[in-house]
Amino acid sequence: MRSILRLLVRLFPVSFRERFGSGMVEQIEQDYDRARTRGFLASFSFALGTAWDLVRSGIAEHVNPTWVSAQPTLSEESDMRSSGQQWMTDLRHAIRSLRRSPGFTVVTVGTLGLAIGVNAGMFSVVNTVLLHPLPYANVDRLVHISGSAPGSGLPDEFGVGDEFYLQYKEQSKLLQDVATYNSGTSTMRAGDRVERIRMSWPTNSLFSTLGAKPILGRLPVAADEDHAAVISYAMWKSWFNSDPAVIGRAYQMSGASRTVIGVMGPDFKFPSDGTMLWISGEIRAEGLVPGRFGTELVGRVRPGTTPAALANELTALSKALPRRFGGSANYAKTIEQHRAVVRTLEQELLGSVARPLWVLLGAVGIVLLIACANVANLFLVRAEGRQRDLAVRRAIGAARGQLVQSQMAEAVVVAALAGIVAAILSALTLPAFLRAAPSEIPRLGEVSMNLTTVVFTLGAALLSALACGLLPAVRASSPDLTRLRDGSRGSTRQRSWARDGLVVGQTALALVLLIGSGLLVRSFWAMRHVNPGYNTENVFTFQIAPEGPTLRDAPSFARFELDFMDRLRALPGVELVGLVDNIPLNEGTSTGRFRTEDMGTNPDAGTLLNSTNAAGDYFKAMGIKVLRGRPFELNDHVSTLGNVVISRTAASLLWPGQDPIGRRLQAPGLTSWETVVGVVDDVMQYGFRDTPQALIYFPLVGTTARSRWTSSPAYVVKTRRAEVIAPEVRALVRSVAPTAPMYRVYTMAGLARDSMVQLSFTMLTLGIASALALILGAVGLYGVLSYVVAQRTREIGVRMALGAEAGQVRRMVVAQGARVVGVGVVIGIVVALVSTRALGSLLFGVKALDAATFIGMSASMVVVGLLASYVPARRASRVDPIESLRGD
Amino acid sequence: MNPLDASGMSLFEYHVLLALASGPLHGYAIKDVVAEESSGTLTPRAGSLYRVLARLITSGLVADAEPASDTPPHPGLARKYYKLTAGGRAALAAEARRLKHAAAMAEKRLGIARSRS
Repeated sequence: MRSILRLLVRLFPVSFRERFGSGMVEQIEQDYDRARTRGFLASFSFALGTAWDLVRSGIAEHVNPTWVSAQPTLSEESDMRSSGQQWMTDLRHAIRSLRRSPGFTVVTVGTLGLAIGVNAGMFSVVNTVLLHPLPYANVDRLVHISGSAPGSGLPDEFGVGDEFYLQYKEQSKLLQDVATYNSGTSTMRAGDRVERIRMSWPTNSLFSTLGAKPILGRLPVAADEDHAAVISYAMWKSWFNSDPAVIGRAYQMSGASRTVIGVMGPDFKFPSDGTMLWISGEIRAEGLVPGRFGTELVGRVRPGTTPAALANELTALSKALPRRFGGSANYAKTIEQHRAVVRTLEQELLGSVARPLWVLLGAVGIVLLIACANVANLFLVRAEGRQRDLAVRRAIGAARGQLVQSQMAEAVVVAALAGIVAAILSALTLPAFLRAAPSEIPRLGEVSMNLTTVVFTLGAALLSALACGLLPAVRASSPDLTRLRDGSRGSTRQRSWARDGLVVGQTALALVLLIGSGLLVRSFWAMRHVNPGYNTENVFTFQIAPEGPTLRDAPSFARFELDFMDRLRALPGVELVGLVDNIPLNEGTSTGRFRTEDMGTNPDAGTLLNSTNAAGDYFKAMGIKVLRGRPFELNDHVSTLGNVVISRTAASLLWPGQDPIGRRLQAPGLTSWETVVGVVDDVMQYGFRDTPQALIYFPLVGTTARSRWTSSPAYVVKTRRAEVIAPEVRALVRSVAPTAPMYRVYTMAGLARDSMVQLSFTMLTLGIASALALILGAVGLYGVLSYVVAQRTREIGVRMALGAEAGQVRRMVVAQGARVVGVGVVIGIVVALVSTRALGSLLFGVKALDAATFIGMSASMVVVGLLASYVPARRASRVDPIESLRGD
Repeated sequence: MNPLDASGMSLFEYHVLLALASGPLHGYAIKDVVAEESSGTLTPRAGSLYRVLARLITSGLVADAEPASDTPPHPGLARKYYKLTAGGRAALAAEARRLKHAAAMAEKRLGIARSRS
């Protein structure tokens, strides 16, 4: 409240503020403190009265410093009272007159209510997700640390290794605290309940780094090793019914029995919403193998440290790593190229969602502007009809301010009603809006209509009232007194600039939105037509994580999985069944250096490629084309033949321009050689914006009985019943592996939709906003031209009586509309040239300055404008000369 | 020509001048004194008060002042003090005379003065 009042002091001219600003602020502060001791109502009415006083005085000081009050001898309080009374009278009049014109009231309240409503909804999302600081102490000092190594062939940015953590923690002078965190899913078992849950494996220092404390129990210490678990508030509630006795009990978590030692508060959702469990430990230098990249780091910097300074320090510290931890020559080379990448935690967690949300808030803000312009136009027209009335009042001595106030009263009533409509509207539609939003937006679940949103809505309504009412009111309050003399309705030509200006503005803003959503529609279209290398239709996928005494090595897992696939194939309607370790659009593959026989024996040689395991009819079920050779056969899985299938890009990287079939390659860390038996098409692993990955597919069993086994692959079921087959699969899982939770249950079509949700959601919302803008713009133009035609009925009548053709009259009116729209379109294009850049990385396959979109949307805008002008033009051309002249 | 000389002084301005007649005051103190001396009918809010002060300063009736030497320094804030100028003193006296005269006329016409005698 204080800050709002302080802000209002800024309404005064700078020179006035420099001289008296601090005194005013002091008085406001002291009065507010006094009012607060008298309770909420007193402080609220003080704030309201002071706000009004500041707005009034601030504006008056700009306009005329010697003018103190309309009735200079009244005291300030009674002045307030009488001005309050005047307001009440004006508001009563306004309500009465609005009730007499229900059409006007419904249109203005509806237009504004809709526009304010979408703004309130969008604001509540932005407010919760972006404006509320993350719930950690001194969040501005939290940073996310990763690495890059330009020229090394590693990804542009990657998680660092445990040795970095130790080095940073022990040596950094700028870091106060640092922690690693990896996250994933794991099986949790408590009594009969078995589920796959999202969890994190951090270092113990995570909690101190974030400054988080448990609401129950304690935090893990080094002596706990990895036997202790901290659970989330959500898990405490849903699994343990908020029972405090859960502390000290042991459950089967992530493959071992661990004791619950603490419960975190409801705000603690690190690293992501839905993280249920933290099993933390310590990282020790003994036995640490350097170069195992992929760990996320979060740090707390000392006050006043910039990310750039920290990055410099950490980069320098990392250079000592090979000396301390050893590692291969290749590792030493990577470290040489390594640069620490530091950004604030806020950027890391919110960076990707911030842009679309701000774009959307901007878009609905534009809709509100257009709505205000429309309503202002309607008020202008309405005030025009009152010119004579106002001229009379002015002539008999009404002060200009009084006239402005009486005109403003209607706008205030309309805006207040619109604010109520908006609040109801956004409360009703917010849940649907949130369901459509991408689930990756953090803290979306916390979005609701809260006090801030209500204040925002009221503020928006108030500003709208000012925006809609002030221009018409000021213009109407200085009526042309000469009108009283000739008694005519007068020409409106000289007044039309205000109306035309508003329509120009509307057209320009609507065009900006249209072009923006046009670009997104084209991006969406382009992305829909990307060939990801697989077919997303009719594919059902899920994972299970079976455990048991018979499952102990790669062959035993392979036997279980082959048997399970046979049973899946027997389900009704199932055509093909396969499995893969990392299903596209949902999981990432692992990366390593692969060698061909030509590359020599140097352990650091090799090409950086991705690998995964696949079995059954994976390629066929996913519709991945076999380009050369053959896919896997049963023999590849049950015996150690050492056959692999590689993707097209992998083939061209390893053996450019040669036939890869029959060639051999070596996986990282192994001495055995694999033979290429097939080449398949590339797939997009991470989404449709991706570049195709070079991928090596291993058969299920790995190369030996001791190789890493595939314990929880994704099963891929090709069936026309993909959308409905889940219950049958679930029943099958229960009979085959009763204790294995089923998770990551999707259809590929659903995963494809999810992968595009950020674009489709932004496109849809922007599309709705621009449709609203277009309709409002067209209605505005139509309204203005209709009014002009009505005003010029006499003139048109005379023209027609003198022999003007209906076509000429139509052209005249349409030309007037076209002029206004034309100017609007030109301005709109200029604004769009600058502002479509805000869409940035949302765009796909289309440039921000795509000429086709600009031309197409501008043309549609012109067509809509001409249509909106044509209706009044037709009416004008049907004017009956006799009828129109009879009036006088 | 002073715009306030022409009997255009408001009650509010009168009370501000009156408050300053006893010596230099800072803004918040002026507000308190005005509220007290007008028996609570005038409780100026910040915006209005400083606009009136600004106007009185421009008219030459009030000027910036040094605080009285025995005033304890206010923590954290460099307070500004205001004092009456000679012109302000004269204007206040003139207004007081005018009010007195106006009050006397009212009493005379309403018969208050006569019933007392």
